[in-house]
Amino acid sequence: MRRKYTIPTYFAFGWLGLSLFLAVFGSFLPVDGYQVIHGDFIDSPPFTSGHWFGVDSNGYDIFSGIINGARLSVFIAVMTVGLGGLIGAFLGITAAYYRGRYDTVVNTAFNVVLSVPNLVLALALVAVLATNVDINEAVPTWRRLATLVISLTIVIIPILGRIARAATLAWSGREFVVAARSMGMRDRHIITRHIVPNVLPALIAVGFLAVGVVIIAEASLSLLGVGIPDGASWGGMLARGRNDLEYNPHALYIPIIALAFTVISTNHVGDVMRGRLDRREGRL
Amino acid sequence: MTAMMTIRNLHVRFATPFGSLEAVRGVDLEIPAGASVGIVGESGSGKTVACRAAMGLLSGSNVQREGTVVFDGKELTAMTREEVRNEFGTGMAMIFQDPMTALNPVRRIGTQLSESLRVRLGMDKKAAMARSAELLSFVRIPDPQSMLKKFPYQLSGGMRQRVMIAIAISCNPKLLFADEPTTALDVTVQAQILQLLSDLRRDLNMSMVLITHDLGVVANHTDYVAVMYAGEVVEQAPTTELFANMKMPYTQALLNSIPKIDMKSGSRLQVIEGRLPNPVDRPKGCGFVTRCTYAQQKCHDEHPPLVDAGNGHMYRCWFPLGHTIARKS
Repeated sequence: MRRKYTIPTYFAFGWLGLSLFLAVFGSFLPVDGYQVIHGDFIDSPPFTSGHWFGVDSNGYDIFSGIINGARLSVFIAVMTVGLGGLIGAFLGITAAYYRGRYDTVVNTAFNVVLSVPNLVLALALVAVLATNVDINEAVPTWRRLATLVISLTIVIIPILGRIARAATLAWSGREFVVAARSMGMRDRHIITRHIVPNVLPALIAVGFLAVGVVIIAEASLSLLGVGIPDGASWGGMLARGRNDLEYNPHALYIPIIALAFTVISTNHVGDVMRGRLDRREGRL
Repeated sequence: MTAMMTIRNLHVRFATPFGSLEAVRGVDLEIPAGASVGIVGESGSGKTVACRAAMGLLSGSNVQREGTVVFDGKELTAMTREEVRNEFGTGMAMIFQDPMTALNPVRRIGTQLSESLRVRLGMDKKAAMARSAELLSFVRIPDPQSMLKKFPYQLSGGMRQRVMIAIAISCNPKLLFADEPTTALDVTVQAQILQLLSDLRRDLNMSMVLITHDLGVVANHTDYVAVMYAGEVVEQAPTTELFANMKMPYTQALLNSIPKIDMKSGSRLQVIEGRLPNPVDRPKGCGFVTRCTYAQQKCHDEHPPLVDAGNGHMYRCWFPLGHTIARKS
């Protein structure tokens, strides 16, 4: 009873697959490094021979930038959602399974974090975590990256944690949980074997939506100047290109198109997953 | 005759926003080894809660349990959670009311069935699977090998209930609680499942508690009956004695409300009018008083104690059936 996917869905899967491919294998492709300066081609528009997507006002090739940016953007998004999902799911599932005071504490913490707008929270966390005591000493890139991932993870934890908690609440009330207990199964066994497989589809569906949220958040942070400092991610390209909008608009809109496609794709895939999930739920 | 399980003065209270709800109010019950005991009563009379509480399956901060439960010589109510857990499956097991929700929808039948064999009996995967197929053929499922690979949604209700029974008996329990095992099934399948349970009980030498609201089922499949009403056992006797010598008006009303084949066509089915008393704010007299055709002033004022009528027959009524002289007073 597998329903056929529609064309946009294939496109979304294709785009995500391409981004993932670029993220993993981008550095092995026969393309110049993104920081090579092409002095003769500064500000040249798209479709210039040798520079499909044009060159920005620094002389950086935009095609190389997109490929390289995929690595950072996708890495940050996958890392953050994976980490946040893991922690959030653990907290949410255990909270909903054991209930009591632990649940109250976890749920309240989720609500508090959720009540702060994503971007404001991430901005505050980056500002606190990625500043040196001595302002003359530059913060190393790895630390900026780690800070970014940690901040966005904290944003993601309650989003996925709440989904996990809600799904667990629904499933742990089912009779098969009591049945497993009546056969002498330990709580840990019930959670890993009975609850998690039921909660996972919902988490995956929302996880895709969360990837979109993270990519936007990362780009926004970069645009605000607190992202990865050398402007390597898609958001960083935007930050670099925004001053030259009138001379060199493609330096801005090409990364924007890449960002938009990715976010639309993750949202669409998330929706498709949720649709399939709802249909399955209805059949049970 | 030794008792497999003895329940003494069992109380279960739930904390609700409207006050303390006492679902089970002082139940005493003995389940003899090798026997089948029926618990009868309408919805909400506390049958399921009493059994789950006896087993120790009720959890949650709003549940309060009192009384003693002795199972196979061990006092469950004095044991730690972990110790009680060790009795689950191998000592006592339960079959659930609704086979639609009692199986995990995302796991294969074989995985669910072999799970307890592997965890509780320490079998390896291959042995557990072989044993699972054997158990499925015990419960008369055709082609057990292919059944192991199926998901619950591919099975009919009757088949699922058979799988549930197979899971419950997988670790050779000494005592099996069957909580309305046929309520969700249609009538032809009901008879098969009940027959299967009776046969399994005999073959595996188990004790069984059969929870039901159908006195007809009780008559055919049990040795002893306890009739529950509003959280109390109101009548209890060996099955033949109960049907020969019914004392409680409530038991009689239950029996009268079963449709009979020789009923005049067009005649109305007798029902028990009214509802169970509010479990949070209970009247002080007999719980059945508002619905009882024989109710008198005394029934409103005083709560009837459990009276022993001999032959193991106990009842809880001021004016039992067959005592015409007493009723006139």
